[in-house]
Amino acid sequence: MTDEPQGVGLVVVSHSRALARAAVALAGEMLHGRPIRIEIAAGLDDTTFGTDAVSIKEAIERVDGPAGVVVLMDLGSAVLSAELALDLIADPSVRDRVTLSPAPIVEGLIVAAVAAAGGASRAEVAAEARGALMGKAAHLSAPDETTAVAEPGQVAADEIVGVFTVDNPHGLHARPAARLVSEVRGLDASVQLRNVTTGAGPVPAGSLSRVATLAALRGHEVEVRASGPQAQEAVEHLLTLARRRFDEPEDATMKAEPAPAAAATGPLPASPGIAIGPVRRLTTVPVDLEQTVVGEPSAEWRRIVESVAAVRREIEHVRVLTTREVGAEEASIFDAHLSLLADAEMLADVKTRIGTGVGAVAAWAGCLADVEAQWAGLPDPYLRERAEDVHAVSDQVLRALTGEPARQTVAEGILVARDLTPAEAAGLDASLVTGVVLAQGSPTSHAAILARARDIPLVVAAGRDVLAVPEGTTVILDGGSGELRIDPSPELLAEFRRRAADLAERRAQHLALAEQPAISVDGTRFAVAANVGSVADARSSLAAGADGAGLVRTEFLFLGRSTAPDIAEQEAEYLAIAEVMGGRRITLRTLDVGGDKPLAYLPMPFEANPYLGRRGIRLSLDHGDLLRDQLVAVCAIARRYPTSVMFPMVATLGELLDARQVLADAAGPDGLPAGLKVGMMVEVPAAALKIESFLPHVDFVSIGTNDLTQYALAAERGNGAVAALSDALDPGVLHLIDRVCRAAHGRVDVAVCGEAASDELAIPVLAGLGVRELSVSPYAVPRVKAAIRELDVTRCAALAAEALTLAGPDDVRKLVLAMLSETTGG
Amino acid sequence: MADNVTTAVLEEWVRTFATQVAENRDHLTELDAAIGDADHGSNMDRGMKAAVAALDETPPATAGALFTKVGMTLVSTVGGASGPLFGTFFLRMGTSFGDSDAVTPQDFATALRAGLGGVVARGKAEPGDKTMYDALAPAVDALDAALAEQSPLGAGLKAARDAAAAGRDATTPMLARKGRASYLGERSVGHQDPGATTVALLLEAATESSF
Repeated sequence: MTDEPQGVGLVVVSHSRALARAAVALAGEMLHGRPIRIEIAAGLDDTTFGTDAVSIKEAIERVDGPAGVVVLMDLGSAVLSAELALDLIADPSVRDRVTLSPAPIVEGLIVAAVAAAGGASRAEVAAEARGALMGKAAHLSAPDETTAVAEPGQVAADEIVGVFTVDNPHGLHARPAARLVSEVRGLDASVQLRNVTTGAGPVPAGSLSRVATLAALRGHEVEVRASGPQAQEAVEHLLTLARRRFDEPEDATMKAEPAPAAAATGPLPASPGIAIGPVRRLTTVPVDLEQTVVGEPSAEWRRIVESVAAVRREIEHVRVLTTREVGAEEASIFDAHLSLLADAEMLADVKTRIGTGVGAVAAWAGCLADVEAQWAGLPDPYLRERAEDVHAVSDQVLRALTGEPARQTVAEGILVARDLTPAEAAGLDASLVTGVVLAQGSPTSHAAILARARDIPLVVAAGRDVLAVPEGTTVILDGGSGELRIDPSPELLAEFRRRAADLAERRAQHLALAEQPAISVDGTRFAVAANVGSVADARSSLAAGADGAGLVRTEFLFLGRSTAPDIAEQEAEYLAIAEVMGGRRITLRTLDVGGDKPLAYLPMPFEANPYLGRRGIRLSLDHGDLLRDQLVAVCAIARRYPTSVMFPMVATLGELLDARQVLADAAGPDGLPAGLKVGMMVEVPAAALKIESFLPHVDFVSIGTNDLTQYALAAERGNGAVAALSDALDPGVLHLIDRVCRAAHGRVDVAVCGEAASDELAIPVLAGLGVRELSVSPYAVPRVKAAIRELDVTRCAALAAEALTLAGPDDVRKLVLAMLSETTGG
Repeated sequence: MADNVTTAVLEEWVRTFATQVAENRDHLTELDAAIGDADHGSNMDRGMKAAVAALDETPPATAGALFTKVGMTLVSTVGGASGPLFGTFFLRMGTSFGDSDAVTPQDFATALRAGLGGVVARGKAEPGDKTMYDALAPAVDALDAALAEQSPLGAGLKAARDAAAAGRDATTPMLARKGRASYLGERSVGHQDPGATTVALLLEAATESSF
């Protein structure tokens, strides 16, 4: 018993056992191994939601000790059951040692766990937990409510006052201000700020939009006045934080200087090709601010609440992605955006406007336009630019309110944006957007993959400053080398025009022959199909001479919308693709999404590792109706056009058989359409190694080298730090492909549909291993066909056999380069 | 004067209620789907089935034991807010009966009021919040009034049933102020409250038992 931690015991009460476990795990991350007494009483069993007063009572008794117990609970019956549990405890001395905390379960648990591990008393733990609630309450309620939340017994007699000097080079701009605001919101105190130097203020420190209006520049003195239970802490925290320059990194100030377009890491090449043209931006939403039907104020306000919540989720998602792919520092701007969306003053203003009978759209647009104007009118240029953040957020919410789809460009040129969502990248109009420059992003992001697939030159990680380049300025970008030149000299312009012309000429030569089949010098015929994500892609691939659509990414029909497409809509879309392909086979892949591409109508729990989580066929099988609908649409197409269907992310034979069963159900009593071929993707290394067991149940396999590679090398391609490991030419990956090809030889067709299929150094190896179908981005079809026409498959087989014996991807590349130079040279 | 209520009759009431809940399970869930999390019917059915099973296993000797058993079972098996609420209701009834093995109609009415007190203490509901209280309170009042006028228990329970039904119907135009339904705000108006509906079933079950 002496090893037992002696601190305050915690009990987590929730409707969901999984939720309670996850909350405890989350809190555990904060403890760094320090033990605490913690028990959960959650769910009626592992899967049935509910709370049970008896099990709560027992949990309390298990963690009870001299220091007492703090109980955290979720909502409704959890609260009632916890109260009842106290009634059920027979020993009054135990009952008296229990505090039921009103804290929100996750935030409350985390701070309570930290406090308990630190040896705090029950009262302190309970107060810390309650503090978590205060932070959230202040964060989300209107300012007048905020003060109401303060403990009524506490008279604001002792106001604590302090002064700090702003030491940040650009003053209290969005990011340091967001840091300040979040610090204040975490405390149970009412805090006001005043710019002593200019006399601006006082403003509530919990409101980002108001703090910005202080226009506090470097050297300005800011007075902090705090009242409430944690007034002292509030002042001390802010003074300390100010000395630390609100944790603003040094180089953030560097980036703010007018400087060449390069950020510390970028720009990075992300999609090859040269583009020259004027800077264009994504247009603001063409929202009709004149809402024709204005509902009751409560209904309009609810629309705001829902849209803001939806945008918060979107931003949080992007923030997580940015943190992972670029860095926490770059992601911090999203904290400012999130903070804005939680700005109590601003939301209260919107609510007031709605109260006067104005519709949600006009109320939001009007309020945000005022805030933006306020910021834009600030004297400091750096702060003025932050009006852009307001604009971005405002825009996003307006789009959510009106259901406007993605932002778009309206004039031809080079799109400059902070980042693009996958849906936005997919929606780019390639006839207008000749190139893209992203301030953030990574070469391995979905946006980059989509840009490559759509033949749009792209450089990423170009730094924030590109966002300040005026619209219409000429820029040059080379998405193959990562070069980015803003307002170039005439000489430079001429040189890049020449390079662009060379590229275009080579492409024209390939294109002239694209309709012809791809037959190697020794007479082996290859199918070169296209990866297609829309009807427009299908048109491009037909124009590029594709022999079929080897991978139709159906998820583009599912992403960026609030409800799933029904059977009729899917059928219409797939049919349109089939019609465009004019009798060439189309291979539809069932919905392939996971935690990294969340869908509004398929709520997915947060997964620490979405790439190893519930995605692809796993997710589809969990949502049988969705899969069935999709397969009904597939069968309808298959009755009219040569069609294949394949399932993504298959890891076990059971999954394949289950999916086939859903397919059989979807096909109906007449059985599978005669021409329908059924296949699976090989992306999971285990599936490649077990390929024999799958073969009797498929007509073809398609190797998704992108995922296969990242799984085989345990290196996520979205993670810049390890993306280089994720190389499809790694001999380990080649062995997996080799295994599939050998087993399938003479039995089922093997296609490759990853990016390796269009890599001219990978094609000879894939051909040598036995792959006979390559599915590539439409744009790449002529080039891939041209590359195949140079190949001698017999030599490739020998090359592949040797490649399998090599140590690394670089060795393989050298070998391939040697063969290719020999061929062209000799 | 009036006959005592036997434990067997009280048990019959509980069992009849369980049957009523089972028969109305989908209806209750439908009501809850409109304004809550669509589990009231299945939760109550699970709880009452478990209560009946517990009674089958060890038939209680006294009214106190009977309602304590039912209450404890509901607390552990319902899962939703109805668990602690109905659980507390029966537990308080059990406490009110105590160890007594002679239950008079007045004892029954007193126990019912104790149960109502438990519901109020637990749920902190007030009249018009659109909760089970809005059906239960008028029922308890009606029973007290009937007994005060020397009506037999059977007649008093019929009055209580009618009052509960009227209370249930009155929840429809109310704006929910408790529980998950309160998150819906104005949208909760126009829907009958599932908890009040279950209370009406409880009193209906009483009139169908041999009180």
